[in-house]
Amino acid sequence: MKFPVSMLKEFVSTELDAQQIGDLLTMAGFELEGIDEVEGEAVLDIKVVSNRGDGLSVFGLSREVLAKDPSSQPTEHYAKVAKGYIRGDESSTIPALTGKVAINTNHCKRFACRLFDGVTNGPSPEWMQKRIRQMGMRPISLFVDVTNYVMVELGQPLHAYDYPTLSGGQIQVRQAEEGEKLVTLNGDEHVLRSHNMVIADATRAIGAAGVMGGHNTEVSAATAQVLLEAAHFVNTSVRKTRKELGLSTDASYRFERSVDPNGVVRALNRVAELVENALEKPVTSPGVVDLFPSPPVAGSVPIRVSRANALMGYEGDDSVTIEQAKSYLERLGFEVGGDGEPFMVTSPSWRPDIEREEDLVEEIGRIHGYERIPERGPIGETPIGGTSGLEAMREAIADHLMRMGFVQTISHSLRDTHHLQSSRPLFGPRNPGSPDHAYLRNSLLPSLADASNINGNRDLHLFELGTVHTIVNGDYAENAMCAMLSVGALTASHWVKTPPAIADFFSMKSAVEAVGRAAERPISLKVPTQVDSRFHPTRQAEIVAGANPGNREVVGIMGQVHPDVAAACGLAAETVLAEINLDALGLKAKDAFVPRLISRNPAVSRDISVLMPVGVSFEKLDSACRSALIGREVDLIIERFELIDVYTGKGIEPGFHSLTVSFTIRKMGQNLTDEEANRVRERVVEALAGLGGAQR
Amino acid sequence: MSAIPQLEAEAMQAIAATASTADLKSVEAQFLGKSGSIMKLMTLIPTLPNEEKPAFGKLVNECRARVEEAVSQRHATLLEKERFQQFQAEQIDITMPSRRFAPGYAHVLWQTEMKIKRVLGSMGFQYFDAGKELEVARFNFEKLNYPADHPAMDEQDTFYISDDRLLRTQCTSFQGRILDIDKVQPPMRWFTIGRTFRNEAVDRTHSHTFHQVDCFMIDEGVSMAHLKGTLRRFASLMFGLDAQVRFRPDFFPFVEPGVDYAVSTSKLFNGRWLELGGAGLIHPKILEAHDIDTERYSGFAFGLGVERIPMMAYGVDDLRHFLENDLRFLEQFA
Repeated sequence: MKFPVSMLKEFVSTELDAQQIGDLLTMAGFELEGIDEVEGEAVLDIKVVSNRGDGLSVFGLSREVLAKDPSSQPTEHYAKVAKGYIRGDESSTIPALTGKVAINTNHCKRFACRLFDGVTNGPSPEWMQKRIRQMGMRPISLFVDVTNYVMVELGQPLHAYDYPTLSGGQIQVRQAEEGEKLVTLNGDEHVLRSHNMVIADATRAIGAAGVMGGHNTEVSAATAQVLLEAAHFVNTSVRKTRKELGLSTDASYRFERSVDPNGVVRALNRVAELVENALEKPVTSPGVVDLFPSPPVAGSVPIRVSRANALMGYEGDDSVTIEQAKSYLERLGFEVGGDGEPFMVTSPSWRPDIEREEDLVEEIGRIHGYERIPERGPIGETPIGGTSGLEAMREAIADHLMRMGFVQTISHSLRDTHHLQSSRPLFGPRNPGSPDHAYLRNSLLPSLADASNINGNRDLHLFELGTVHTIVNGDYAENAMCAMLSVGALTASHWVKTPPAIADFFSMKSAVEAVGRAAERPISLKVPTQVDSRFHPTRQAEIVAGANPGNREVVGIMGQVHPDVAAACGLAAETVLAEINLDALGLKAKDAFVPRLISRNPAVSRDISVLMPVGVSFEKLDSACRSALIGREVDLIIERFELIDVYTGKGIEPGFHSLTVSFTIRKMGQNLTDEEANRVRERVVEALAGLGGAQR
Repeated sequence: MSAIPQLEAEAMQAIAATASTADLKSVEAQFLGKSGSIMKLMTLIPTLPNEEKPAFGKLVNECRARVEEAVSQRHATLLEKERFQQFQAEQIDITMPSRRFAPGYAHVLWQTEMKIKRVLGSMGFQYFDAGKELEVARFNFEKLNYPADHPAMDEQDTFYISDDRLLRTQCTSFQGRILDIDKVQPPMRWFTIGRTFRNEAVDRTHSHTFHQVDCFMIDEGVSMAHLKGTLRRFASLMFGLDAQVRFRPDFFPFVEPGVDYAVSTSKLFNGRWLELGGAGLIHPKILEAHDIDTERYSGFAFGLGVERIPMMAYGVDDLRHFLENDLRFLEQFA
């Protein structure tokens, strides 16, 4: 809310300058957004939190300044406003309006009018036009400007009608007829529903209550008779209508938060005063029509100052005394009663936010000062801190992948569709706002593809830990995932030329195995039961976690990107991808891990080259060789068994390849003899022969 | 016997004539090797009369020692020269670009989150890893004391998936998961870090997606002083030991009193106060809704944006950098 500081100084006699007042309001909870110099004067821009509608007026903020700063004093104007800006004619009604004003809805709690006769609705006085501009509004005419001015000054929205245009000379608040039409002041036509509250004359709607007046009864330069209305509307009704009509106004903004129901007549009186000052003659018809069927009864809340000190943490000399607490509350307009504690506190009509003791604790704290709160560390028994479970696993995975050279990316969950998305159901917000974020990703691979695109699609090794969404058995499912993308050189390029290793299926396999190590679940790959169309059909695998058959499950998929998909989404054709479901990976128990003790006896190594039919998988060969290595020798340690060469080409007949495996074995506590090592080698050769492999 | 001085003179001449340590090695072999000419003299001893044997042996040994000494001295001289030439030849331009390893590195937001996890973990706050981005609406609003149709909901224009599911607008929704679903009773200290969403278009200073830290504790006698002290410790470990914390009244439906807190350090922010997030004592209605006795227990809660920390610390003023994954940006934090 913007207002010139001179307006506030009409309410508060103070030595404070604009900046000091702004800072003081900030520390009272009304944040200074800025001070602008407008037409030679400092204009404060104050942000008011949503539960403090009483702060949406200069008068309301003055009250906060006075409560917070005991050296500031209320002015006569403040005292007059606080007492209701009495003109003296309030207790009598207006004969001309007898039987012509009515509340016909539950959503209006108070409705009051004044009548003005013989007015000239020309421009408002220059001083007022200046202030209207300082508030960020446009001067229009005397009645429009005065009602806007008083709304900012006192917080009560008002509306002026050209009285002769009201059919039947009547005004009422009622619910709209279903389908009833209203053209608002801005010229828009609205078709209303029965839950919209309207101001109406005898025959038609003339305003959307609490939101905007109607075009048909608008004051003009020709207006000589004005009916001025001020009311108190139920905030939820105003909010609903405002949203439906798409009209956010200064009035609806205030009604939605809160307006003091007891300030209705005061605002009418203030308008009368300002209009008569401007026109320099009496134009106010004596009397007020004030329909206020059931004024709210102020509730009382007990407060213990000891409780306030305990919750705020005030200690020693900074503790709040009962006298201080009462003084703070009284300065804010609360009534206090009783001795000792608890004492009873009655809220003023402008503070519907106060419901219970804790609300009063905040009021006391606000005025006493948050800077007086000491700093104490958390008390009590210290629980187990830090991360465990899924989060600890995510941290370990990130560490493992970064060590291997993968760079972490983090990208949006909301996105558009993509060739690499999963075939599982995809959904998004029902109000996405933009097609760029119409869906929640169901795979991290599209995000990694985007990251690859942004960074040139070459020599990139990326991973992301993130969440994906899909629908499983009719319910929303959210999963933690880890995905990797790898393409190009695995080593950094340099002016010293060395041929780099290039990422391929098997370098990605090693990254996938590292994820397994981080999660303490050994990883193996198997040929997919169903081909995933995102990947190269003969270079893809399902990722299986777990060492023991009973503890083993598919947790992800990996492979080289399908060449058509690569072309469609701008990836290099040799890009390899993997995605692992971490909820699945972490679901089952970790596999037991027993570190191997190191033998200090010498090792023996042997190589074997065989001619092997191409159809025999390495997995088969690997397990056959490993069991042959051990044989029945329980004390034999297989320190290393690996494939060291694969050769096809010259000298090798088609359908075969030459494989060279190498192993290193030892015994614990005794030396292996050459004969023993050769026996082991013979067993392996036999096992390979069993698979159709002939030693070369 | 006269052959010995002559051989020695030959050896000395040959040694002096060597041009390299390789030459010297062959000269050494020629004279001092197993079948070298000096060593060969020793083989003559058995052929000599017995009375000449000692004197002859002595002469040969003395000769050998002198030649060995000469070899050693010559070796030192030659080696020094050779090393000098070698090092001249092997000189590099040390200002040439470094040869990079290709290590991986963490995203700047992850680095920030790791630091936050360490700091809050060290104060006994446990990380809650079962938070949901796609949240049940009541955990985001009603369970956090938002009255139905309250204007505060206006400030968070929310992505709704269905009538009762939404993309959470604040990680504070994890309170409901702990208190309501897991039915945890005090004392407790929890925190979480996650993704939150607002229905906004993405530009330099706005985004529909943010990362947020949310933290709370409930115990006997917890006050605003414990909140302030915890935030001071948090700020000190995050930004520097001289960090200060300031409270200002603010309103959030799920706390009473509510504050926003600002942080200042002399080094990082030039003594300016920078708002970090919202905080307060957990609203008693929330505690009561979970059968927690508010006379015995109270709690505090605070939240902050993860992006805000690198933005403040490094002066990054374009939010889009964080989720675009341009490595030119990310590698600077590696």
